[in-house]
Order: sequence, then C-alpha cells, then structure tokens
Amino acid sequence: MSKASHLDSTATGETQPRRIFGTILDQLPSWLPWVLLRLLSGMGVVLALSFIVFAATQALPSDPARQILGPEADEAAIVLLRTQLGLDRPLPIQYLDWFSRVARGDFGVSLDSNVPVSELLARRLGNTLTLLLCVVALSLPLALTLGIVLALWRDSRPARFFITLLILVKATPDFIIALGLMFVFALNLQWLPAVSLMDPDRSPLAQAEFLVLPALTITLGSLPYLIRLVRTAMIETLESEYVTQARLRGIPEQALIFSHALPNALIPVIYGVALMLSVMVGGALIAEVVFAYPGIGSALNSAVQMRDLPLIQGAVLIITLSVVLINLLADFLTVLLTPRLRTAESKVLNFWRRSYRRAVQPDSSRGW
Amino acid sequence: MGSLLPGCGEQSPKSGGASSATALSSSADEKPRRGGRLRLGIIGGDQAGNLDAHKPFNTGSIIRGFALYSKLWEWNDDMLPKLTLAEFAEPNADASQWTIRLKKGLEFHHGKTVTADDVVFSILRLTDPGLASPFSYLVNAVDREGIAKIDEFTVRIAFKKGIGFSPLPSLWVNFGGIVPTDYHPVTNPVGAGPFKYKDFRPGERSLFVRHENYFLNGQPYPDELEILDFKDQTSRFAALVSGQIHLANAVSPDQIALFRDNPRARLLVSPTYAWNGFYLNTAKKPFDDIRVRQAFRLLVDRGELVKRVFNGEGRIANDLYAAHDPTFNHDIPQRLHDPDGARRLLREAGVGKLSLELVTNAAGSNAAVVFAEQARRFDIDLHIRQVDEATYNGSEKADWAISTGGSLGLPYLAAAVSIDGPLAVANRSNFYDARFHDLIHQALKEPDVERQKTIVHEAQRIQHERGSLLIWGFANALDGVSPLVGIQAERSHFPTWRFDRLWLREDTA
Repeated sequence: MSKASHLDSTATGETQPRRIFGTILDQLPSWLPWVLLRLLSGMGVVLALSFIVFAATQALPSDPARQILGPEADEAAIVLLRTQLGLDRPLPIQYLDWFSRVARGDFGVSLDSNVPVSELLARRLGNTLTLLLCVVALSLPLALTLGIVLALWRDSRPARFFITLLILVKATPDFIIALGLMFVFALNLQWLPAVSLMDPDRSPLAQAEFLVLPALTITLGSLPYLIRLVRTAMIETLESEYVTQARLRGIPEQALIFSHALPNALIPVIYGVALMLSVMVGGALIAEVVFAYPGIGSALNSAVQMRDLPLIQGAVLIITLSVVLINLLADFLTVLLTPRLRTAESKVLNFWRRSYRRAVQPDSSRGW
Repeated sequence: MGSLLPGCGEQSPKSGGASSATALSSSADEKPRRGGRLRLGIIGGDQAGNLDAHKPFNTGSIIRGFALYSKLWEWNDDMLPKLTLAEFAEPNADASQWTIRLKKGLEFHHGKTVTADDVVFSILRLTDPGLASPFSYLVNAVDREGIAKIDEFTVRIAFKKGIGFSPLPSLWVNFGGIVPTDYHPVTNPVGAGPFKYKDFRPGERSLFVRHENYFLNGQPYPDELEILDFKDQTSRFAALVSGQIHLANAVSPDQIALFRDNPRARLLVSPTYAWNGFYLNTAKKPFDDIRVRQAFRLLVDRGELVKRVFNGEGRIANDLYAAHDPTFNHDIPQRLHDPDGARRLLREAGVGKLSLELVTNAAGSNAAVVFAEQARRFDIDLHIRQVDEATYNGSEKADWAISTGGSLGLPYLAAAVSIDGPLAVANRSNFYDARFHDLIHQALKEPDVERQKTIVHEAQRIQHERGSLLIWGFANALDGVSPLVGIQAERSHFPTWRFDRLWLREDTA
C-alpha cells in the first residue's frame, strides 16, 4: 500500500467507520462470542447426528426396498427397487449425495408415499410447534404460580396434599391421561372433538378445538415436574443468605419474592422447559397417536418402521436443529438472568478487541 | 346368513328408542340418498402408502384404490370375482389364453373413454419389471409379449409357455385397476372408479369427489369420500362414536364389547374366509417329519384359539384355506383337538422335549401366545419372537421353523399359487410336493369348474394329510358403522370399501 493511497483514503474518511467499528466492538455484550461458538458447535452436533442416523438406518434389519414391496415381492423386484433408490451404493457416497442435496434445500421424496419430504415435514413441524406453543403457554404460568404458592406455604397441609396429588398425576401414564380426557370431554360431555382431524388447508390455530385435548394431555404430563422444579428452586432461594440479608434490610416480602428470588428460581425452570420441549419436539407421541394429531413425531416413528430413509433423515435433521436451538435459547436466557454470567469478561471478546486495536493502531496514530 | 349379527345396538330394545339411531341396518326397501361427505377411518399403521393402482403398498393404499380404480372384475358378496368393466371374459380350452371384452361407453375420471388400449396399458404396467410392483407376481404367468388388442374393446391375453391360468380373474382383480394410457400415480391418478382424486395427505387423510360418469347409473351416492388414517384403534373408536367418522373398517376383536348397547355405532359382522395359522417349515427340523407336522395339527385347540384370539368372532378351520370356493372338498373330516394322537405321533417321531422359536408379526402375536400355552402341555417350549413387518417379510422368512401367518380369503387356486403352490414366491413353509404341484398345474389349465373340482379335491387331501400349514381358524370381518350409513352386509372382507354402494342418511358437518 503506498503512502499516497493511504493519505487518499484518510481524506475520504475511512477512519470514521473504523472508529465506529471499534466502538461497536467495545460495546458488544460479553456473551456474544459464546453464543456464536454455541451456534457453531450446535451445527457440528446436527451434522454429526445426521451421519450417525444415516449409518444407524443401515444397521436396521431389512431394507426399505423389501419393506416397501411387502411380503410377496420377489427378489428381482427388490433388487431392482434398491438400485432405483440408489441403495446399492457405498454408504459414504449415499450420505454425501443426500447432504449435497439438502444443502441445496432438496430433502428428497418419501419412499413410502412419493411425496416431497419437505412438504410432508413442513406442515407436521408447524403442527408440532403450534402444539408445543400452547403447552408452554399453558404450563409455564401454571407452574410458576403453583410452584411459588407451594414454596411459600410449603409446610401447610393443603400444600402437602397437593404435592401428593402431583406425584399421583406424574405416576399416571400419559396415555391414560389422554384417554381419560378424551372420554370425559369428548365422549361424555361432548364439548370437544375426540380426535384431532384437522383441516389441512387451515392453520392449526384457526381450529383450536383440535388443540385443546392434546395440549392438555402434554401439559398434565409435564406440569408436576415443572411445578416441583419451581417449588424447590424457590425454597432454596428463599432460604439463601442474600434473601435473608435482604429481608433483614427491610425489603418488602413481595419485592423480595418477585424481584430477587424469582429470577434466580427461574433458571432451573428454563432448563426444565427446554428439556421438556427437546423431548416433545421429537414427538409428543402419545398425544399424536391417541388424538391422531398429525405431528412430526408420529411421522418419524412411521418412517423408521418403514425404513423411509429420506423422511427419517429430514425429520431427524429438523428435530436435532430444533433441540439445539431450544437449548441454546435456554442457555442464553440463563446468561441474561444471571448477573455474574451476563457481565463476565469474555476472553474471546477481549482477544478480538486487542487484535483489532493492534491492527488499526498505526492507522489511527496517523489519522489523529 | 347371520351377517348382521352380534350383541350390538339393534338387539337392545332399550337403546335409543325409535330415533334414526336405531334404524341401523339398511333394509332392502330403503332408497339410498345422494349427498354428503362419507368418512372412513382406517388403521394406516406405519406405512402411509400411495395412490398407485398397481403398486399399492398397504391396506390404506388398496382401500384408496377401491375408490379410484375400477377393474375388469370385482369381488362379489361371497368373495368370488364377478364382471364389472368387462362384459365378457372367458379362457380357451386349456386356459392358456383369455379373451376379454369391455363394456361400451365407460369413462375415466378425466372424460376419456375406456378402450382396449387402456386395458393393455394397465396389464403391461402391472407386470412391468421396471415398476417392481409387489403384486406383479400374482400375474407373473402373463406373457407380456402375448397381449393383443383384438378390436377397440377386446383384448386377448396369453400366458408363458405351458402355463394355464384359469384363476386369472381372482388373481388380477385386487391390483387390476384399469387406468388410461396417460396415467401417472402422482401427477395423474386417474381411473374409472366411483370417486376421483382431490387431495392426498400421506399418513393423514385423502379426499375424493364423486365420479359423475361412473359406470353404474346414479352411483356412487355421497358427494365426497374422505379416508382418514388412524394409528390407534381406541382413538378411531372414539372418533366413530363421536360422529367424526362414519365407518371404521377391520375393528379389533377386543373392541367388540364397546359396541354392545351402543346407540352411536354398531358392529357389522361379515363371516369371511380370512385364514389364520402357522407355517410349519418342511425344510427345518422337526417339521421335515410329517408326523411332527400332523402332531402339531392335532395338539392345537382350535376352538380355544377362535375364542381367545378372535374373541369368538370366527370359525375353526381344517388346515385348508378357501372353504368358500366352489371347488372346496367338504368331505375331508374336520381335524379335532386330539392330545393322545398328538403325543403318539411325537413319540413315534422320536421327539422328546422340544424347544423352538415361534416367529410372529404384530398381527399374529395373540395367536402365538395362546398356541405357545397349548404346546407347553405337550412339553413343547415355543419361545415367541415378535418381529417388525420388515423383518417378518424379510429374507429370513423361509428359514424359521415355525411362524405365524394368514391372509385374505382368496379363492382356492389364487391362494395356492401365492401360499404353498408351484408358483408361490413366498413359500414360507418350503412345501414342495411333486403330486401336489402337478395337480395345481392341472387345475390351472382347467377352465371348467366341475372338472377342476376333482383335481382340487385331491390336492386338498394332500395338503390335509401331509401339508405344511396349520390353519386353525377363519376370522369374521368386523366393521364399525355409524347409524347414518346405508350399508349392506356381505361375506367379503370389505363391506366398508364398497364406495359405489355406501350412502349417508343425513348430511353431517
């Protein structure tokens, strides 16, 4: 770079954006590199898992061609279909072929129904997410309210009774809850449809009557766990030294609970919800089977039974991606809720800042 | 008769009073009503299936095929083929050729006339090795080069050298949908069936609308037909009684009690010849010994199996399939539970304590459990191994010593060529008896039913005396029906798939 051109660029004000960039770098939240790294490692997990699943499908007994063609198909037809599907190629080649097509947004066609995988999964993922959204909207406020109440009156007789009741609900298998709800609300009272035969051309939220029973089933199944999480965390926090200190300083009980104790008690709950969602996104299977709710879990389950490789791969990819994102979101919320983590010095960020300063140092000395 | 049987709503004077809910069976004088959307709930299982006329992967696909595609024949109420799109179909003297003539004025869903070209196209497509249809084996004997169009509406079909093919109708009918030459199973799923395609959501639902130019005047009756996939019998039952669906085919026998005194749904019972049994593999010890095979056939308690596995909805069988076929040998005495005879045969065969693995799929698991209990009384340990469908139909299927089995009640020769006869692809029990094979070949060449009878009678005696199937029962087909549906009872497997006959008494939302 010649001096003339450098002076030229100074004259056009190139240092200005650099200074702004420097300022931005200084103001970046310290958790940013962490989030980016987590995102990257999440991608790695998704990739690794997609390969493991690909390999695992090969280990299943029987193969898609035989499974599709059924009991009486002769060997020649099976061999032919296997060739047509490209299943006779080496595993790494099949994987690379699949991967390069997915990279271009092509998930392939279901071996079972001949319908594009993306079309099959898009709607089912939408249905599953809608259902989970309803579950969170139902269970989170309930868990928080009940958990706090149970923590505050932890030694009272009704609270103990309620805890026992929760254990009882938790011990009831999900399908019994599902069938119980169905028999009461659909068959006896006839308030709600028994099964979720949704109109595929309308959004699931526009036909909310079909969401109620599946959402209630999942909520009832996960609520006891969440309530106990909130309760335990609240009790621990309320008995911690800093809350005692705050109480001694005369901070009103209400402020103590909501501004000081609750944010800390929220962290285990966030993980609880994330764990619950991670499992559910892969299939709220009981609800999907009992209420014939067209979610992603039953699609994956069937695909595995059918050795429908493109559908298995597509579904697993989407589910893994969702799980990674959910966990990332949970970690992120935790960082935001924890002052120590939120403000901690980031080594990576400091390194970036130092390197940047070193890189721009000579320019800025001349510019100023 | 007895097809409108059992302990369900109509027998109870208390249930439902004189409302429309009690007008359960469609009496002969009740006129079918047009209109409405008929909803059938099926148990799709894991396989979503497709719309292919010639390559339907599962029961769901076959049921959808009944709506979309008409065939040259269809099953009559007694599970024997009768002419539908064809007005004439006859074999020559040694059944090496069939001549088939179409009815005039038949129309596909998209308006094209059904002609000989479409028939030729359809049979060539079904047998095309490139399509790799799992059902092409049924008509494997067709000589693809020997299919000739005689005139606009007539086709002649020849068979591979030396093979007679008298059961062509019963082997071709299930997967013989006649489709136009511009057919495509995904982009143009057109046929001449009672309903035409509107929407297909795999594993979820499919929607069809009435084919206005269906070959039967004024039929079908409903405006629309919707087929819904369920994974679970209980939820399908709930959908039926709450009015979300009108029909539930192939109800599980454990649900029979739910229909008792139920004003919202009744059970339609059709006595069929769907056989249930066990394959005794003649290539494996100990079943290579006839005496052991016969001992197993004597030690089984058929009555108990019918009672416990079918919940009583069925009849015992005599180790022979197709008892409804006009050629069936009714003179062969029914084999009965004979513990002493069984023990004697086992002793003669030098078999002491036996320990075997009994392989079953989900469908056969109840029968496997009951039979294993029965065998234990004879010092025979049957370890049940339940495998998924893929494994059950996989390459090991002919290697298991004993496995469960069963299929639809097909006519005799059609069943023989797919189960244990000379052309059988999946001969799970490795039954190769020279005389039996010879007789089946003879019967295949014999178009005359009376003469066929003599041959089949001998073949069945062989199967009964030294065969490899332990067939213990015939199941009744059980269908759940809403009081709103006009439906006829029959002795076939599919009163709920007769989409050209079913109708709705009222419109429902």
